[in-house]
Formats: sequence, C-alpha cells, structure tokens
Amino acid sequence: MNAAFLISLKVLAVDIPLLLILGTSLGWLLARRRFPGREFVHLLVLLPIALPPSVLGLYMLILLGRAPLIHDLGLLFSFPAAAMAPLLPALPIMVQAARSGFLAVDEGLEDAARTLGSGELSVFYRVTFPLARRFLLAGLALSSARALGDFGVTLMIAGNMPGRTQTLPLYIFSRVEALDLVSAHVAAVLLTFVGIASLVLVRALEGKSHERLA
Amino acid sequence: MSAWLEASVSRKLGNFKLDAAISMQREIGVLFGPSGSGKSQTLRLLCGLARPDSGDVRLNGRVLVQKPGGVFVPASRRCIGVVFQNLALFPHMTVLENVLYGLKKEETGRACEWIEKVRMSEMKQRYPSQLSGGQRQRVALARALAPLPDLLLLDEPFSALDGPLRRNLRRELKKLHRETGIPILYVTHHIEDACALGDRVFFMKQGKISATLPVEDLWNPESQIDTWQLLGWGNLFRGEIASSEGGVWFSWGGGKLLLSPSITGRGEARAFIAPHHVKILYPHVPVDSQLAPNVMHGKIVETVHLGGVARVLVKINNCQWQIEHPMESYGGLDLHEGEDIRVSIRPRCISVLRQCEKGGV
Repeated sequence: MNAAFLISLKVLAVDIPLLLILGTSLGWLLARRRFPGREFVHLLVLLPIALPPSVLGLYMLILLGRAPLIHDLGLLFSFPAAAMAPLLPALPIMVQAARSGFLAVDEGLEDAARTLGSGELSVFYRVTFPLARRFLLAGLALSSARALGDFGVTLMIAGNMPGRTQTLPLYIFSRVEALDLVSAHVAAVLLTFVGIASLVLVRALEGKSHERLA
Repeated sequence: MSAWLEASVSRKLGNFKLDAAISMQREIGVLFGPSGSGKSQTLRLLCGLARPDSGDVRLNGRVLVQKPGGVFVPASRRCIGVVFQNLALFPHMTVLENVLYGLKKEETGRACEWIEKVRMSEMKQRYPSQLSGGQRQRVALARALAPLPDLLLLDEPFSALDGPLRRNLRRELKKLHRETGIPILYVTHHIEDACALGDRVFFMKQGKISATLPVEDLWNPESQIDTWQLLGWGNLFRGEIASSEGGVWFSWGGGKLLLSPSITGRGEARAFIAPHHVKILYPHVPVDSQLAPNVMHGKIVETVHLGGVARVLVKINNCQWQIEHPMESYGGLDLHEGEDIRVSIRPRCISVLRQCEKGGV
C-alpha cells in the first residue's frame, strides 16, 4: 500500500499546482472576458463532468496513443499519464469554483483600484484574488479530492501497474480482486478521511467568507 | 487662461448617444440631470474606465484622450480620483489599508493624516462592514483624495444619506476642496446638492450638456436664464415661503404646498420637485398621512413611455407638472389623456432654493 500511497501523493503534487493555475486562469477568463466562443469553451471545460470516465479515458487513449507527435512522447501507461488522467475530471470543479468566485467580486471594486493607480496585474493580486480566495481554496480542496480518487481515466490511460502507475483507488480494486479485504479497507478508510477533511475545509471556508464581507 | 479640465467625449451605447463637453477651472462643478441622462457614463469616460468613440480630454495640461489620434491614457495613470455611488471600499481591507491603497507602502503617515482630516482616526483598524453609512463616505473621500489627484469625480456618493448627514458631508467636502484646491466634478440629480456645493452647474439632458451656468443663476430671480427651459426636466416654481397653520408653506401660482419643518427662512424662493417625487394617488385608497396635506387635482395632458418609466404631463391650476411613475404599476392605473387625477408630494421631497442656500451650506 505504501507504494500506491506514495504514487497518489506524487500525482497530487503535480496536479494541485496545475489545477490552481489552469482552473484559476480559465475561471477568470470565463468570468471576466468576453470573447467569441466563450460559451463553447465553458461547455468544453464542463464536459468531463457529464461524460463517463471510460469515455474520457478512451478519447485520451486515442489522443496519447495515436495522435502524431504526442504518440512519440510515449506517455501512455507511465507516471505522466497517471498524473494527467485525474486532471480531466477534476479541472471542471476548480474552474466552476474559480468562475463563481470571480463573478462574486464586484467589478466596481476593480474599477476603484484602477482609478487609484493599479494596473491590471495589481488589480488582480490586490483586489480580485484576495476577495475570490475562499472560493478558490474551496474549489481546490474539492477538485484535489476528486483527483485523488480518480479511477476510470487513470485505469484507461495509465494502467494498474504496482509501483509505477497504481494509485490508491486502483490499489483498492486490485486488493478486492485478490480478496484481500483488510488491505482494501485500510486504503478505503484513508481515502474516506481525505474526502471528509476536504468537505470540512470547504464548509469552513464558506462560513468564513461572509464574516468580514457581511 | 486655458481651462484646468477641457473635455469633449462622445460614445454610442445602443440607441443612446452620449456627446458631452465640459470645461472647468479648479472649482466645484456639478453635473446635474435626470437619471439616465448619461451623467455616470460621462464620469467613466473622463476617468478612463470607458473608452470614447471619439473625443479630446485635457487635464492640467496633460492630454488624456485624443481620438482620432490614438491617445488613451488608462485610468490607472490619469491622476483622477473617483468616489463611486456605492463607494466601492475594499471589504477585505481596514480603513487604513483602504486609504493607503493609492499611496506608496511607506506613506502610512500620509494615509493617517487623511484619515484624521475626515475624522476617522479612531476607526482606522476597522473594516468597512463595521462602519456606518456616513463613516464609509468619509473613508471613500479620504481614499480618493490621499494621492492628491488632479481632479476628483463624485458619482452621487451621498444619494443614500438623509438630510442632516448629507448637509454635514457637503460641508466637509467644500472644506476639503478649500484646503487642497483639488477641483471636483460632482454628479447628482438632487438640486440641493447642486446649489449647496457647486460653483458651476452643467445641465445634462439625453446625453448632452444642454447648458452651463454659474450656480448663482439657479436662484437669482433676475436671471434671464430660465433653468426650467434649459433642463426640460423637473418641476420648478417661483413663490413665497411663509409660516401659518402650524407649518411652513410654499405658496405658488397654483396653490400651497406644505414644506419640511426643517426649512428655515421666509420670503421669495423657488421650489424644485423631481418628477419621481410626485406621487399619483390611487382612487378609493386612503391617502398616506405624509401625502395628505399636499394633494392636488389635475388633468392628464400627455403620457410618454420612457423605458421602465411613464412620464406624465399633468395640468394643475394652469401649470404643467412632470410626473414619473414606474411603468409596471402605471398600466394598472388605467389612466388616459384628458382624465382627472389626484397627485401629491411628501413635504421632505420639495427642495427650496434661495440665495441663503448657497451661503448656508
């Protein structure tokens, strides 16, 4: 189990910064910028929530295995694939949270910051980001929990190779197949604990977000 | 001598065409006009939060906009302070952090001086949500003035406040103007604000500055300029104020109106009543006690539909009154041209303009 736990941690170490950067950027774009095809981009970002993991996995398999250039990178059934797989179903959660967070920030406050001498980057870091921060943290907690628990997409494109691509959810599956229910239980308790912790964190952030702004 | 602010901007927004030209010295200018006339949009164009289709803006010798010509200085580099209608104080920052926002980090001392100037020193560690309406206004003023802008724009910042508080803040604003010399352009649709604050009034109507005149001409009965005609909005009457029957009354050609008891001074005056303050009374419904003394009977001359508002012209004792009523409930009244109606005005909604108003702020 230790190897699977370690691989899951490594996956999170890669995915959390990516979720933060990609999710925040996409959420900001969708909340604050008008551009042709914005609705299409929004739908595309949300699509992984509506598709079965096996369908997502299949398309990823085709993309990574058959698309020219990408195929040559040899990503399939390797750790990079295991790290990339959970991003797809987790990213929409982060994007939605970031988008809601940025929409909740009064644009008048950003205008006020501009008239006080702030350029666009400064407006973002001093006004928009701090006011949307709790939404972003809540989104990050939920999307990380979803990434940690990914099973279907990871199995399709990274396989279930102990010590290389086997994450905790895949480990549980293997242990159940081998009728080793005790080990499966230990891993399941660990994942359940992480899930509950992330929900508690989200609730706490939601409560606090209204304290000073009320 | 060239003007401190010389601006001419135009912008098309759907069917609405804004075409405003403003020229002022280091004084207090008031941009006065009805809602929807383009006042706030003009401020946004001046401070760089909106781009004009064409225009020319010069402030203190600097060119801020020249289009065509390709010059557009962004809001962050215009040195124009703005106090917004909703004040837009940063809710995650304390009073001190808010005022410090437009200054350099090491200028805490200067921020504290400004906080002291608006008498908020005791509260500099509080958050905006912990302040009253008047205190928030003061903080917003200090924040906008602290970087010593070349121009301060105020977008109806006192609109949510009641009489005495409003008068206090107007007085403070004038004091700050005297102390700093920073010119102010103040947007309002309250004529008292225009009279009490301004040196010069810019009348705005349907996206254009319809007239500019020194504020004295608003109350000067000898003036050849008829404010009412310039503006084409609101109800302005000449008359006389007198005390009788336990109240203060304004007598005009068409009758008498009870005024707010806080109005002092007697004699010749003008009264201004904004169209939305004239209430149409529902038939067979008891009249609100505040409205009862000022009930008038008239005949509908014309009804014009302006978006969400019905503008009704009513003839009362040979004078025409403008009344604005929300469109959604106007339909329910089922009123037609030529019909008799009853209207009334709350005493506190009647603004009295006299020479003493100017000096008495």
